Amino acid sequence: MTAIPLPLPRRVTRSVKKYAIPYLFIAVPVISLIVFLLIPMVASLWWSLNDYSGLQPPKFVGLNNYIQLFTNDKIFGKGLVNTTVFVLLGMSIGPTLGLLTALMLNQKVRFRSFYRTAYYLPVMTSLVVVSTIWLMLYNRNGLINTVLQTFGVAKVGWLSSPHVALISIVIASVWQGFGFETVVFLAALQSIPRELYEAAMIDGAGGGAQFRYITLPSLRPVIVFVYIIGIIGSYQVFDQIYVMSSGGPVYSTTTIVYYLFTKFMDLRLGYASAIAYVLFAILVVFSYIQMRISRERA
Amino acid sequence: MYNKKVLFSLVIIVGLLLSSCASATTQPAAPVVPAATEAPSAAAPSAPTTAPAENVTITVWDYYGEATPIKPLIEPFQAAHPNIKINYEAYDWDTTQQKLDVVLTGGTPPDVTTVDMTWIPKYASLGAFADLNALSGGSLNGVAWKDAYTAGALKAITFNDQIIAALYDFDTYGLYYRSDLFEQKGIKVPTTWDELMAAAKALHEGDKYYYEFDADTFHGSQWIYENGGTLLSPDNKTVVFNSPEAVGAITFNDSLLKEGVAINWTTDQGERIQGVKDGRIAMFSDGPYYMGIMKSAAPEMAGQWKVAMHPTSKQNGSYLGGTGLVIPVGSTQKEAAWEFIQYAMQVENQIGVYTNAGAAPALKAALSSPEVNVADPYFGGEQAFSIFLKTMETATPFPYVRTWTDIDNAFTNAMQQIALGDLTVQEALDQAAQTAQEALNQ
Repeated sequence: MTAIPLPLPRRVTRSVKKYAIPYLFIAVPVISLIVFLLIPMVASLWWSLNDYSGLQPPKFVGLNNYIQLFTNDKIFGKGLVNTTVFVLLGMSIGPTLGLLTALMLNQKVRFRSFYRTAYYLPVMTSLVVVSTIWLMLYNRNGLINTVLQTFGVAKVGWLSSPHVALISIVIASVWQGFGFETVVFLAALQSIPRELYEAAMIDGAGGGAQFRYITLPSLRPVIVFVYIIGIIGSYQVFDQIYVMSSGGPVYSTTTIVYYLFTKFMDLRLGYASAIAYVLFAILVVFSYIQMRISRERA
Repeated sequence: MYNKKVLFSLVIIVGLLLSSCASATTQPAAPVVPAATEAPSAAAPSAPTTAPAENVTITVWDYYGEATPIKPLIEPFQAAHPNIKINYEAYDWDTTQQKLDVVLTGGTPPDVTTVDMTWIPKYASLGAFADLNALSGGSLNGVAWKDAYTAGALKAITFNDQIIAALYDFDTYGLYYRSDLFEQKGIKVPTTWDELMAAAKALHEGDKYYYEFDADTFHGSQWIYENGGTLLSPDNKTVVFNSPEAVGAITFNDSLLKEGVAINWTTDQGERIQGVKDGRIAMFSDGPYYMGIMKSAAPEMAGQWKVAMHPTSKQNGSYLGGTGLVIPVGSTQKEAAWEFIQYAMQVENQIGVYTNAGAAPALKAALSSPEVNVADPYFGGEQAFSIFLKTMETATPFPYVRTWTDIDNAFTNAMQQIALGDLTVQEALDQAAQTAQEALNQ
């Protein structure tokens, strides 16, 4: 404390003065990012190496949590598989459905803005509300089974059969989400220059050829965007499971994040953190692959 | 150039925040030590009489909802204790558990909270709650703990020789049955499993009048207890829910399903009360709290239902749960908090658990009071509570082990697999026992 404060180099003081206000402005998001994202991430990484309940002091266990996850935890393995199936199914149906709807809405249909709003409405609705509605639809004596019965089809255990439950959740999720893809694709379709189609028509290209050589290549960056957002979002599926199935029956709808949640509720914060980091690693890998693809294609 | 500076300042900020964060996270652990050292010293004997002299505010969490018996206590308590002010907060059951997880691990916990006794294994094994025995000096409103409660209830609130909760309402399972149908068809109320099977067969018609059960540990364990089995060995070291008694018990449960006279109430059936109302359910096993649910959600069925002891094969048995009042170890106002718990546990206030919430008060003196033991017109003019009081005598709480959730999940999963017909009873319980044993050994 006795040391004489060293004068800061003039260049620094000048730039601090010059940029004081901008720094102040960016400080708000930067600090909130640090407090609410960076610090929890670092803390969580440390906890994942500990046996930690939050009530007792953490006990360092090295990579034990990760080893346990991959060698001994059958439910986590099932969660990984379930989540991957959910992503694969959802990502193959959702964007396709979105593109088809967008292509249809891109024709000269009446009430186009009505349809656009209608398809987008579920996206804006809370996932919990959507899940509650589907929970009622999937009821053993609910609307879907009643309609099926009038056609002579036996009742389906939408949420009580382990073979069906995950598919039921996929259907509800796709219904909720594909409006987003529709709107994004529609906007992209409308920005494709009309001249390209006119030129193609003069060259004698039919509808199929036009779609293949003009529409699809023009949509490529948008498709990549939709898949990045979609896959990252789908891997984190939680709300639907929490409301509709609680991970059951027989773990058939237990996903990574739902499993993480149960471990958090059991105050196994170290173990839950390890699960979070496995998910993080998966998402990093996917994001990297997708970035590579989009760069190559661009 | 600027990147480096920004990075440098970021590192400093992160460092500062991390250090402040580190000191913050170590704080909650600290109170454990003084509490442990204080308890055996001079503080213990004087505790029950020395209410804090200065003005204090305590926070009370309550998950009862609208029919709460706790909220009406606040005004009179504050009048009787002018130096204690209560900050009352109401949450639903789910939120209470989630918030407790958060505040117990890194926040300011309430001074008193309602907890579901099924949460106790997790919290107690982590030392989350203060020892009420030390705080109380050994008695509750002047009655020794062991005299205030039944043996089963005392077992439920005891962990490692500490009393970690004051049992406020209790939950044990009895048989709810459609007395009007029993009368109509001339069926005798079953007391044994064989009689239950016969009654279920006589009752069931088409898609109506089933014996309803849930493929979970609450219901599964009841069959096992009734057949002389348990979930874990008495020392809580070995999983025994695949013993011959347990396998026999679950096999009987499964035979009800296989005979087509029982219905497995999966999530896609909706709420159970729906099945009660539309006639799909004619018998089920549940706790006294369900009487309140039936009265408010199915008032038109008054007089059609009665409650009896659940039929047994060898002995009576049930899980024992309910609501406890606890003081988190992180509370800074433990004496005032204890004053409030003691007030809530006074006999006349315990009776309020019944008169307000329709639930079963846990205190022996309240249970035997005339206010609770009234003829209930909804349940055929009988004293339904006396049934649950009787079931409490032989009821057992779930084992208090750290990995209880894993064991519970393994058993529930086995019950589901059996109900679906994926595995035989023996296979499913053997596999689950192996999983549960691995968790128990951790």
